[in-house]
Amino acid sequence: MWANAEMDADYDYVGYYGGGGGGGSGGGGGHDYDGSHTGDPRQDMEYERQFQSSYIVPEVIKNFLVFFQKSVNDQNLFEVQNCYENGFNKLTDRFFKNTPWPEADVIAPIVGNDGIFLILYKELYYRHVYARVQSGPSLEQRFESYYNYCNLFNYILNADGPVPLELPNQWLWDIIDEFIYQFQSFSQYRSKVSKKSEDEIEVLRTNPKIWNVHSVLNVLHSLVEKSNINRQLEIYASGGDPDSVSGEFGQNSLYKMLGYFSLIGLLRLHSLLGDYYQALKVLENIDFHKKNLYSRVPSCQITTFYYVGFAYMMMRRYQDAIRTFANILLYIQRTKQMFQNRAQLYDQITKNNDKMYTMLAICLVLHPMRIDESVHSHLREKYADKQLRMQKCDMAEFEQCFSFACPKFLSPVPPNFDMMTDTFHKEPFKLQLRVFLEEVAQQIQIPTIRSYLKLYTTLPIAKLAAFMEVTEEALRTQLMCFKHKMKNLVWTKGTSCLEGEFQSASEVDFYVDGNMIHIADTKVARRYGDFFIRQIHKFEEITRNLQQTAVAAK
Amino acid sequence: MAKSFARSPGYNPENLPTLERYVQMQAAENTYDIEANLAVLKLYQFNPGYFQTEIASLILLKALTNLPHTDFILCKCLIDTNRLNELPVSKILELSELLETCDFERFWAETRDDPDLISSIVGFEDSIRKFICHVVAATFQSIEMEKLQQVLGHVTPMVAAQWVNKYGWTTQSNGMIFVSNQEESIKTKNITEKITFDSVAAIMSSSR
Repeated sequence: MWANAEMDADYDYVGYYGGGGGGGSGGGGGHDYDGSHTGDPRQDMEYERQFQSSYIVPEVIKNFLVFFQKSVNDQNLFEVQNCYENGFNKLTDRFFKNTPWPEADVIAPIVGNDGIFLILYKELYYRHVYARVQSGPSLEQRFESYYNYCNLFNYILNADGPVPLELPNQWLWDIIDEFIYQFQSFSQYRSKVSKKSEDEIEVLRTNPKIWNVHSVLNVLHSLVEKSNINRQLEIYASGGDPDSVSGEFGQNSLYKMLGYFSLIGLLRLHSLLGDYYQALKVLENIDFHKKNLYSRVPSCQITTFYYVGFAYMMMRRYQDAIRTFANILLYIQRTKQMFQNRAQLYDQITKNNDKMYTMLAICLVLHPMRIDESVHSHLREKYADKQLRMQKCDMAEFEQCFSFACPKFLSPVPPNFDMMTDTFHKEPFKLQLRVFLEEVAQQIQIPTIRSYLKLYTTLPIAKLAAFMEVTEEALRTQLMCFKHKMKNLVWTKGTSCLEGEFQSASEVDFYVDGNMIHIADTKVARRYGDFFIRQIHKFEEITRNLQQTAVAAK
Repeated sequence: MAKSFARSPGYNPENLPTLERYVQMQAAENTYDIEANLAVLKLYQFNPGYFQTEIASLILLKALTNLPHTDFILCKCLIDTNRLNELPVSKILELSELLETCDFERFWAETRDDPDLISSIVGFEDSIRKFICHVVAATFQSIEMEKLQQVLGHVTPMVAAQWVNKYGWTTQSNGMIFVSNQEESIKTKNITEKITFDSVAAIMSSSR
């Protein structure tokens, strides 16, 4: 029936199996699935209906699952990656755009009740429910997904030796990423107490351990420990061979990558809880200035730089934040085309791109400095209005930008179900917003002072005080504040992001000598030479091409 | 001790008494351990029932002694809003506000009015003076002696002279303190384009 539907050219799994029919042997219970096709479609359907839900699994899906399973069991990394990145998504778009895939119970017989494969299948199943199903996951599904992750991590962590599983790095990253995302989703769901029924509240109240922050932390820390990833990174940073310290599990690619991704997971989790110090501390062995083997998954890179940049911004390390954001925004600019055909990933990257541009805009208002030209021009194009408003001390604009760009903060504790407040779920966000806005308010005069300073090379204190309509005393205070806020801690060397020296690299700088302000501005001359050279080369190439075409035409 | 705890996934509130005593020790002995203090606040965040206002206050005051580092912000981000609005924490937040905006005059006035707030931190005032000198050194090439005395908390000329010596500043005859030669580091920069021979060599050779 479905077997003759269009088959993807690059995915000939039916060909692999030489025709329709299930591959796996049926489980117990006296039904032999393969070979039981009577040839009469109506009888077959009846048969299937007896043993499964009323959903009938299309042939093409069955074949895909069997092939997928075989690839996993054969540890055929290439095919597993193909199934994961292409096959699954294509079938999703075709059959399950907004509905769930068949439940694990339904497809279990197709894959011979293969425990490990079913865990992996469920991982994909629930991820899809969260992402595409309109109503989102039910409470029961949230719980089931949690148990599934527990099963997966128990399998990986409690084995005597490395488990015989090879999964592509993208999938490993997605597992960690999704695990934390579902925790985040559950925390927010749980905090919205006022819209829940008594039954729901009772279920939540009596299951405090499900999606508990300690379990999530425990998983991440265990994966880090098991893989010895910190020792490996330390040795790698100093030029040594990570394998010499990795241990049996750490040498195995699955464990090593899960360990690394768990570090990024911890960066994210600590940030969501408002602990920026710990967030950066877990990365202390990762050298971001060296290209490292671990950074091949783009969404991992982007997530990393987003949270690192955000932590720096909250810690008033604007120079480091700006450098971090500019770095990754350039990277996205250059690589975005590669993700055109992976819709979900592309959307995610675009969203993060916008958030980081917004944060970059904020940071550059507070701490103007030169950045890469292409990033700067995009910023001027899309964010000039926002920046202008922020420069004019518009606190509402700061609030709006922060709210758009910030992570979805969480509280580590469940709500008090007996004291229902409508706003409990917003409390973590409101705290971080408050801290941020208080910091901005302390700096609010600085852009104005800066705009006056730009106009002069020397300026008496009395005169500037008159412009700003404040006393000289008050102005001195503001000038000291300017200097204090512009002196950021800046990373200079070593692997730890937390390290740094106090530096002042803002565009406009000054010092006070008695009653006189002396101003130093950074002027950048226009690059005429570079422009002409490039144009000359371009024209030369055109001329050459024309000459070649003329010759060829003869 | 704090290092190993920060890495451990325990988050076990049973560790609190030890850590809280450590905070009190820092206050009494003029030492400082940011990681241990953040660990306490994190434990409070995870176990709100264990929150102790007195300890949180000590931690926040200690964070102020580490200015210009932004430890205070890190602490604020871990404390529940309700707790931030309670005394004496709210008062300490006000002090932080004054220091961050360099409103030193009012800062000293506040601490004079409420000496108990900061009395439990040994060496608090001198730590703040260190921060104030850091700001003065960044801002001024020269400053009037009287103004220096003022920002340091209306100290006597003798005390001010001690701070001048400590940072290697020089007293001039006209009542000014020469802080440092800012002219050297704060100069107008003109970033001009450098056209190297290599970049034009290609053009020059092809235009022959």
